[in-house]
Amino acid sequence: MLRVTNLSKDYPTPRGPLRVLSDVSFEMAPGDAAAVMGPSGSGKSSLLYILGGLEPPTSGTISLDGRNPFELSATDLAAFRNARIGFVFQDHCLLPQCSVLENVLIPTLVAPKGEADAARARHLVDRVGLADRIDHRPAELSGGERQRVAIARALVREPRLLLCDEPTGNLDRAAAENVAALLLDLHRLENTILLVVTHSAPLAEHFPIRFDLQDAQLHRSR
Amino acid sequence: MTSTTLVRRGLQHYWRTNLAVIAGVATAVAVLAGALLVGDSVRGSLRDLVVQRLGRADRLVVATGFFRDALADDIRGDRVFDADYRDIAPLIVMQGVVADQATGRRASGVQVYGVDDRFWRFHGIADVAGPAGRDAYVSRALAADIGAAPGTTAVVRIEKPSAIPLESLHGRKESAGRSIVLTVRRVIDAAQMGDFTIRPQQGDVRAVFVPMRRLQQDVEQPGRVNAMLVADRQRATNAPLQLLLKRHAHLEDFGLTLRTLGPQPAIALESSAGIIDGPRAAAADRAAVQANLVAKPVFTYLANTIRHGDREVPYSLVSATDPGVPLPSTGHPIVLNDWTARELGAKPGDAITLDYYVWEDPGYLETRRAEFTVAGIVPIAGAAADRDLAPVYPGITGTESLSDWDPPFPIDLKRVRPVDEDYWKKYRTTPKAFVTFADGRRLWQTRYGDRTSVRLAAGGQPVDQARARYEAALRSALDPESMGFTVRAVRDEGLTASRGSTDFGEYFVYFSFFLVASALVLAALFFRLTVEQRAREVGLLRAVGFGTPRVRTLFTAEGLLLAAIGSAIGAVAAVGYGAAMMAGLRTWWSGAVGTTSLTLHVSAASLLAGAAGALVAAGACIWWTLRGLSRLSERALLAGQLQSDVLPTARRGGRAMTLSVVAFAALGFGLIGAAAGKAIDPAGAFFGAGAAILIACLCLLAARLGKGRSKGGRRPSTSIANLGFRNASVRPGRSVLAVAVIASAVFILISVDAFRLSDADPTDRKAGTGGYPLLVDLLVPIVHDPNSADGRDALGLSGAAGIHVEPFRVRPGEDASCLNLYEPTTPRILGVSRRFIGEGRFSFQGSLASTDAERANPWLLLDRALPGDAVPIAADSNSLTYVLHKKVGDDIVLAHGGAPLRLHVVAALDDSLFQGELLMSEPNFIRLFPEQQGYRFLLIDAPPQTAAQLSDTIEKTASDLGADAVATRRRLAEFHAVENTYLSTFQSLGGLGLLVGTIGLAAVLLRNVLERRRELALLRAVGFARSHLFTLVLSENVALLVWGLSTGLVSALIAIAPAALQRGARLPLSAGGGLLVVAVLAAGLLSSVVATRAALRAPLVAALRSE
Repeated sequence: MLRVTNLSKDYPTPRGPLRVLSDVSFEMAPGDAAAVMGPSGSGKSSLLYILGGLEPPTSGTISLDGRNPFELSATDLAAFRNARIGFVFQDHCLLPQCSVLENVLIPTLVAPKGEADAARARHLVDRVGLADRIDHRPAELSGGERQRVAIARALVREPRLLLCDEPTGNLDRAAAENVAALLLDLHRLENTILLVVTHSAPLAEHFPIRFDLQDAQLHRSR
Repeated sequence: MTSTTLVRRGLQHYWRTNLAVIAGVATAVAVLAGALLVGDSVRGSLRDLVVQRLGRADRLVVATGFFRDALADDIRGDRVFDADYRDIAPLIVMQGVVADQATGRRASGVQVYGVDDRFWRFHGIADVAGPAGRDAYVSRALAADIGAAPGTTAVVRIEKPSAIPLESLHGRKESAGRSIVLTVRRVIDAAQMGDFTIRPQQGDVRAVFVPMRRLQQDVEQPGRVNAMLVADRQRATNAPLQLLLKRHAHLEDFGLTLRTLGPQPAIALESSAGIIDGPRAAAADRAAVQANLVAKPVFTYLANTIRHGDREVPYSLVSATDPGVPLPSTGHPIVLNDWTARELGAKPGDAITLDYYVWEDPGYLETRRAEFTVAGIVPIAGAAADRDLAPVYPGITGTESLSDWDPPFPIDLKRVRPVDEDYWKKYRTTPKAFVTFADGRRLWQTRYGDRTSVRLAAGGQPVDQARARYEAALRSALDPESMGFTVRAVRDEGLTASRGSTDFGEYFVYFSFFLVASALVLAALFFRLTVEQRAREVGLLRAVGFGTPRVRTLFTAEGLLLAAIGSAIGAVAAVGYGAAMMAGLRTWWSGAVGTTSLTLHVSAASLLAGAAGALVAAGACIWWTLRGLSRLSERALLAGQLQSDVLPTARRGGRAMTLSVVAFAALGFGLIGAAAGKAIDPAGAFFGAGAAILIACLCLLAARLGKGRSKGGRRPSTSIANLGFRNASVRPGRSVLAVAVIASAVFILISVDAFRLSDADPTDRKAGTGGYPLLVDLLVPIVHDPNSADGRDALGLSGAAGIHVEPFRVRPGEDASCLNLYEPTTPRILGVSRRFIGEGRFSFQGSLASTDAERANPWLLLDRALPGDAVPIAADSNSLTYVLHKKVGDDIVLAHGGAPLRLHVVAALDDSLFQGELLMSEPNFIRLFPEQQGYRFLLIDAPPQTAAQLSDTIEKTASDLGADAVATRRRLAEFHAVENTYLSTFQSLGGLGLLVGTIGLAAVLLRNVLERRRELALLRAVGFARSHLFTLVLSENVALLVWGLSTGLVSALIAIAPAALQRGARLPLSAGGGLLVVAVLAAGLLSSVVATRAALRAPLVAALRSE
């Protein structure tokens, strides 16, 4: 269970603090999938990074399965992120020097489980439809394919929370549809809590829950 | 997939930038390890020279006098010898001047060896024997110097050894040298021991090998030598050899003889010197006690006149000993023989005057007078008729008549009357008068002794038995080391000395410091570029749960792996670098080493040390680079936003940097102050201060760039160039690093140029020449006062006016100047006269002066009485610092006569011509080294314009003395050439550093431009022409370049200002330094233009499309 309570985020600027999130509260259970929409600069990505434990809130709490990541030490927070949270970024962030399989396996390096990691990675690569490209480098893949690798990588540690930041932002419509379907499909299979930040209304349409972020306030519109 | 795979993939994927990192580290390792190899090579080459030139000689027995060459056979025949030693060979070792008789070409400082077949057998040289007859062999260097070839007639000039001290009344002052005409039969190669020398020297060996028998005959020492070479069987020590020496040395080997006298049974102990010195006299007394004999000292002296009233007897021998009649214990009694009493008309109670000569310092004969009272008159019989009381004086004792006398002092034969001749014919050397031994010693004692013989009464014993017993006791009492024998472990000494007075490894590490630093900065720069390029990767790893330490470990592993590869390549390249440096030392920089015999010696330890050193430095650079990343948020990293945060300055604001500026500037100025106050070594302070000020300037730049970037409300740029300047703050870390490399190189190259030494003024009494335009080294000492008529005659200066010659006593020893690469253990010592001390010439860098007089003239410190047995000395500050590694207040301990001699440094001369020696007062010199005769070093004060002519005159006229006259300016220039060569070396390596820096700058510029392709494309889209963009980019680069140049220049100027003022060196910029600044500017601009043009050639519109 993801529980967000009275979350606020300010950024310091020369002209005083800029509030991008104000008193945000919501809950999501495993199997829930939500899209967060809002204009540029509205704080969508900030919310995502705070939920992912990458950036601390100014106030408020987050709890994932009863644990507040920001109460953990830096080492434990890293381990928490590794075990519980998966990320998919707009810019996929694949390591150009590594093959598809190696990119998927990267999170497992933190706490290796031996052959099981490789088996799961191969399974995920297969599930995202890139089994025949498993040894290819990112430079040899299309944008959609790269994002599918990023999704596989995000799921390799069987996270409870899957966070996606504009996962289809750099893709054409067909590729975006493909990636969205894959994402939801895998979400269902893995029973994760899925939260996707996007500008794309068609993508948001795929999600049963929709949040709108405006003037630092988060509203559930569906 | 493992972490190792991830590291490996990173290394492979980013191979281009990784190659650059490897190249940087490899360069640093090559330079650092190569510098250490230079040290190894110099030491190794010096060691090789020692080993090659000593041949099989491990030990040398050398004596101040001559001894039987049969002593070598006696020692070899002892069973003890076989246990430790393999062979022994006698030889004569002398210094000489050799000239080609036909051409007159001559060489001084030649080693003259009297050898026979035993010498070559000793060294295992099968194809050389002799030389024989009037043949001579010469070393290749000597042959080249004088243009000799087989068949050449060579004249060898040597100092003729004399048992009678030159500076005593009976010393033969006019014939102290001897010329031997020989025919060069062979030129001997080094492999055939042609370069044999027992004194380590890196330069060529000029040696002539003369038939031993011929040399013995010419120096009037038949069957005698002054040295023996000994080869060890295994690892041996000196002790058995010292024992053998004591066991087998005869009295005559110590210059002593025992005579049995008749008709009364007595024994006389006499010395070939004509006088018995203190150690021998003490041994004689101890032996007498042991042999149960009564020893009675005798001092017989020549009185020019024995006078009573107006009657006188000329040229009479007077003995200070018991004449056999009781003498009163008070006053100054004299006993006359009846012949003398009759001639003088003297009777007991009459006053008698004795006139006699004494040899006084500095080298003149003085007539002194002493008053006595006749205490008795004895017949010429019994003890009073003993003609053996007088020692054998060549030219006197063996003559048939007084008119045949040929003494080494003036006599007036007109004063000799027929009765005097009759006395001589009848009684010869029978003393005409007797005084007490106490009076004799008071009047005639010199530093050479206080008795001419020791009489031993046999008592009731058979004289032969008494003599045998006494001889055995005396041989046992005589300690060879105290009697002038020295056993030296020449191989060990040479090998120890080959460690060198100058650690070239250390020097080249200093010289290469900025080159190493440039290479490391370059490596760090490229590593940083790699990391920056992979910022998103870092962000991703952290986002997926890699902790910061883990990410750092991954990148550190990658960096260290690169550094290790670079180190391995660098270690190989170090051999090449070392070889290049050695080639430089043999050619361009040979002025610093004075030899072309240096070869590369590769040591694994140095390679490893260099690699480890650079590896550690590279590790530190990597750590520093990664440290910046840990401060960045994952979000920033994922967005690739790191340029604003990597440099601490920008993140923390200008405050920390401002503090750093103040701290480093304070450190720099503090170091300069400490150096000026002589609290720390100026050389270290120079580097420290320069580096600190440089860092302060770089921090200032970092602060400025950070400030410029963080300012929100600054005025918009009004020109393209201004916009370009501002761009330098976009990547402040890169900008600062690029500037650091350029500034460091400029700093080096400019600052060292100011330390280049120029010629000294030969007329300035406070300059390094002391105001003496000419110096003269003499092979044969001059014993006359060189300012007296005799002295001037000897030097050919009789007609010269306005000249003063300052003589110095010399104890030969090793060159303590930078011209000698070997570590001197017994430096040459000069004895300076009271007059010279009073002149107060030369300048001092430091002293222990505590009074106003001493501060005004630190030479006075040489007369200071020091606690214990320490002897005050002065030395040149350069020799003290760089060769002897001592400072004012330190002790230099030398081995002297089997006991340590403690020399206390009381003053340090400032860049003087005395860089090769230590200086002590003449009284101390005479006390410590009584065996050193006369003056072998002269400084001549003359009008500078006459120096060249005087030099020719002295060398021609005083060729018998082996005079070598040199302008003091030239001697100083030789020393300066070494220092200036070091500076050239430093500058050359700094130039390489600049090259590395320029490459770094070009690479950074190219990278910057490439990263900003989108920005440039946008500018073109909005109407910027290509020339505008060129200006934009170039102005940024010029800003960096100018800052680098000015930073280097300013820090160099500040750092060297005190030293430059103190040492009288001119301030930069010199033509060379100025040229260098222009060269740096030109090189930087060129690399900027090349980088900018390359970047702007790229298709910018494509970049815009992706925007």
